Amino acid sequence: MDIFDFLVHGFAVALQPQHLLLALIGCTIGTLIGALPGLGPVNGVALLIPLAFNFGLAPTAALILLVSVYYGCMYGGRISSIVLNIPGDEPAMMTTLDGFPMARAGRGGEALGLSAVASFVGATVATIGLTLFAPLLVTVAIRFGPAEYFALFVLAFATIGGVTTGSFTKSFIAASLGLLLGTVGIDPVSGVARYTFGWYELYDGIDYIVALVGLFAVSECLLFLERDRDKADAAMRIGSAVPGMRRSLDCAPTIGRGSVIGFISGVLPGAGASLGSFLSYVLEKRWWGAKGKFGEGDPRGVAAPEAGNNAAAGGALIPMLSLGIPGSGTTAILLALLLSMNITPGPLLFEQQPDMVWGLVAALFIGNVMLLVLNIPLVGFFAKVLQAPSWFLMPMVTLVAFVGIYSLNNSAFDLYMMLAFGVLGYGLRKLEIPTVPVVLGLLLGGQMEFNLRRAMSISGGDWSILVNSGISIGIYLFAGTLLLAGLMYALLLKRRLG
Amino acid sequence: MSDDAETSHAALGDRIAGAVLALLALGAWWHAQSFVTGFMQPVGPGVFPQLVSVPLGLLAVYLIARPGLNQRWPDAAALCRQLGVLLLLGTYAAFLEPCGFIPSTLVATVVLMRLFGAHWRQALPYGLLLGLALYALFEFALGIPLPDMPGLKV
Repeated sequence: MDIFDFLVHGFAVALQPQHLLLALIGCTIGTLIGALPGLGPVNGVALLIPLAFNFGLAPTAALILLVSVYYGCMYGGRISSIVLNIPGDEPAMMTTLDGFPMARAGRGGEALGLSAVASFVGATVATIGLTLFAPLLVTVAIRFGPAEYFALFVLAFATIGGVTTGSFTKSFIAASLGLLLGTVGIDPVSGVARYTFGWYELYDGIDYIVALVGLFAVSECLLFLERDRDKADAAMRIGSAVPGMRRSLDCAPTIGRGSVIGFISGVLPGAGASLGSFLSYVLEKRWWGAKGKFGEGDPRGVAAPEAGNNAAAGGALIPMLSLGIPGSGTTAILLALLLSMNITPGPLLFEQQPDMVWGLVAALFIGNVMLLVLNIPLVGFFAKVLQAPSWFLMPMVTLVAFVGIYSLNNSAFDLYMMLAFGVLGYGLRKLEIPTVPVVLGLLLGGQMEFNLRRAMSISGGDWSILVNSGISIGIYLFAGTLLLAGLMYALLLKRRLG
Repeated sequence: MSDDAETSHAALGDRIAGAVLALLALGAWWHAQSFVTGFMQPVGPGVFPQLVSVPLGLLAVYLIARPGLNQRWPDAAALCRQLGVLLLLGTYAAFLEPCGFIPSTLVATVVLMRLFGAHWRQALPYGLLLGLALYALFEFALGIPLPDMPGLKV
C-alpha cells in the first residue's frame, strides 16, 4: 500500500462520528486554552490528559482528542496576542508585535481573520509534510538497533538547548535531573529497587502524568498568584474577520514562506514552534526591509509568525511519531500520554498500528478545516471568554486537573507527588531552569538506558559497539554539529545583547 | 532597589540551586554503588544513574561558579498566597478520602477562589457551583466513582 491508500484508510478512521466529535471538542477546548494568557499548549495538553484518561477513551480516540487540543492551542495562542497584547503561549509572542497595533487601530477582526487563514495554511502544509516524510523516516528507522537508538537519544539531549530559550548549562542540568528522576523505581532488568527509600508507591517509578501536571499546571497556578490579578482591559472593538480573509490573498507569498520555514524548524530536534515563528517573522521583515511597516501593524507581520508556528507544531509531530523522540514540549506530553497507554511510538507503530497513525494524520487534516471554520464566527466569543475573571478560571482549571489526577489511581499519594512536582517546577521556572528537558529526561530515560544495556549485552560489555555502525556515527556527528551551532548561536546572541 | 542588588540576589538563587543539585548528584552517585549487578549483566542497574549524575554534578558546580539570571522572587504577600494554595491543596488531598468528595471539594473550591482574589460574595456561590459541577462531571459524565461521604451508602 502506498501513502495515498493509507491516508484514505486514515480518513475512514477519523470520520467515525465519535472521532469527529472528539476532534471538534478538542479544537474548541484547545482554542480556548491557547487563548488564555499563560496557559500555553504545554500546560493545556497537560491539564487535559487526566480528563482524556477518565473518559475511558481508546488510544486512537484519546490521541485524536489531544492532538486536536494541541492544534487548537496553536490557533488560540494568537487571539490574546492580538486582542490583549499578552501572548497566549510562547510561540505566539511574535504575533503581538504587529497584531496588537492592528487591533488598536480597530483592525483586530482583520488581524484575527488573516491569522486564522495563515494558521490554517501553515498547519496544512505541515500536515502534508508529515504525511510524506514520516513514512520515509520510518523506513530508515526500522533498521535501527539498540546502539543506533541510544545515539538517537544522545542526539535528542544534545540538541535540548534549542528547545528552550534559557542558558545551555541550565538546559542540560534540567535534562540530567530528568534522566536521574527517570531511574527511580524498580529496575526492569535486574529487579533492584532504585532510589525508592522503602516507599512502595515509588516502585513503579514516577508517574509521568503526575509529574507533568505538577511541573506545568501546578507551577503555573503558583506563578499566577504573584502576577497582576486584574489585567482585563476595556472591551475593544474587534470588527469583522472577513476583510482579513481577503487580505490573506495579498499575503499568500508571506504565508507560504512562513509555512516552509516553520515546518523545517519543527522537524529539527530541539527547535520547535517558537523558533519557527521567530525565524519566519525575522526573515519576512528582512525581505521587505523599509517597504514594510513591521512593528506598527503590518498584516504580513501577523501572517508570517502564525504560519510559522502552526507549521512548526505539525512538523514537531514527525520525530515524535516516527522515532519516539519529541521535538517540542507539547509533543513530549503527547509522548507521555502514549507511553502511559503502553504504546511506544516509533517505526514499529507505523507497522503495527497503521489505523492509529493514519487516523491521526487524517484527523489533523479534518481538525484544521474545523479550526478555520470555528474561528471565523467564534472569534468574538473567544475574545469574550478571555475577559472572564481569573478568580474563577484558575481555580476551575486547577481543580479539574487535581480531581483528574486523583481519579487516575484513586490515590492521595499521587496528589502529594503532584504538589511536590509543582513546587519543583515553580522553583525551576524562577531559577530560569527550563522544565521541558526535565520531562524529556523523565520520559526518555527508561528507553535510553534500556537500549544502552541491550547494546552492551549484545556486545558482551564492549563499549565500542556504540560507535560501530555508520548510522550511529552519522547521528553523533549530526548531534555534534547541532550542539556546536546552538552554542555559536547562544554566544552570538549574548554578544549582541551584552 | 538598585540593579546591582537584584543581580547579586539572582546569583544567590543559582548558587543555592547549584549546591543542592551538586549534593543530589553526589548522593545519587554514591547510592547507585549499592545497587547489585545481576549475573550476566555487563551493565548493571547502577551504571546509568552514575553516568547521568556525573554531568549533573559537574554542571551544578559550574552553576555555582558562574551563576546566571533568575526571575524576581515573590514578595511576602504573594508568597503567603502561594503557601496558602499549597497548604489548601495538600489538606484537600488528605481529607478527600476520609471526609468524602463533596464536602471537602466544596470547602476547597470556595477557599481557593478566595485565595485567587474573589470576594466572599463571589467565592461562595461560584465555589459551590464549581464543586457540584466537578462532582457531576466526574461522577456522572465520566462515570468515575469518587469517595462518598462517610456513613452514606448509595
